[in-house]
Amino acid sequence: MSAGWGTLILSCHQKPFRDWFEAYLTAFNRADFAGFAAYYADDVIFRGQAAQVVGSQQVVEFYRRVRAYLDEHVELLTFVGAPDRRKIVAEMRTTLVAMRDWPDMPSGPMRTGDRRSTVVFAIYELADGRFTRIRTARVAGAQAASR
Amino acid sequence: MTTEERFLSYIEAFNAGDWDRLTEFYAPEVCLIIGNGTELRGRAAIVAFYEQVRTKARRTIRVVDCFCDGELLAAELASEFVALVDAPDFPAHPLRQGDRLYINSLALYDFDDVFFTRIRAATILREYRPATLGEATPI
Repeated sequence: MSAGWGTLILSCHQKPFRDWFEAYLTAFNRADFAGFAAYYADDVIFRGQAAQVVGSQQVVEFYRRVRAYLDEHVELLTFVGAPDRRKIVAEMRTTLVAMRDWPDMPSGPMRTGDRRSTVVFAIYELADGRFTRIRTARVAGAQAASR
Repeated sequence: MTTEERFLSYIEAFNAGDWDRLTEFYAPEVCLIIGNGTELRGRAAIVAFYEQVRTKARRTIRVVDCFCDGELLAAELASEFVALVDAPDFPAHPLRQGDRLYINSLALYDFDDVFFTRIRAATILREYRPATLGEATPI
């Protein structure tokens, strides 16, 4: 099920901020490309661990490529939302499971069945209820939060 | 004073190297995990670490942004390190006197009514600018 643009606007302003963000992650984990792409501004700047791209279509294309090789699941560990909803800082655990070999994977080769788990801090900047810039920082060592 | 204002005072104390004032913000059992994963427990351990770093480099932190949600404060910090001496074993990157290191990081601060109880940081971006060339390069 896709989150329409009208639904997104309504959600961003009327739902609790964290619920709105978790709906984004739910869409992402379901590989609901239209659903999670609706959170991106057209010219979103995305600086992830495995890709640095500009534009919502480019982000989606990157994740379509990822999903051709990997099952990816993101778990929200910590959420901090600015009261005026201009930014979010989140701690998230990403678990990747390779469904087939991907020797050229940007963050390191994976073979079928490999599992990789990383924790990142991510900052999402918003304008008009959509992400305009996303940056991530990999958390060194095992310091994931339990909350 | 809001938590954000209190946080800015904390950073001000850090930049001034005022450890007595700095530790007033920490719970006795505070846990600090810096960007490279090093874990420091307790006020004394944190101050000892910062004092050690300060013998090698002057660090100035600029708060890019900070905001609170419940008992958590999130901050984006821009740190500039200027090497005071040659420091081949400097965390993050070897430095020679006069070299500069820029680190942008995200940090999460857990706090209770009075103190920071846990601080965790992760690095978004690092740039190294040697004194001789003046050209910043990502590392």
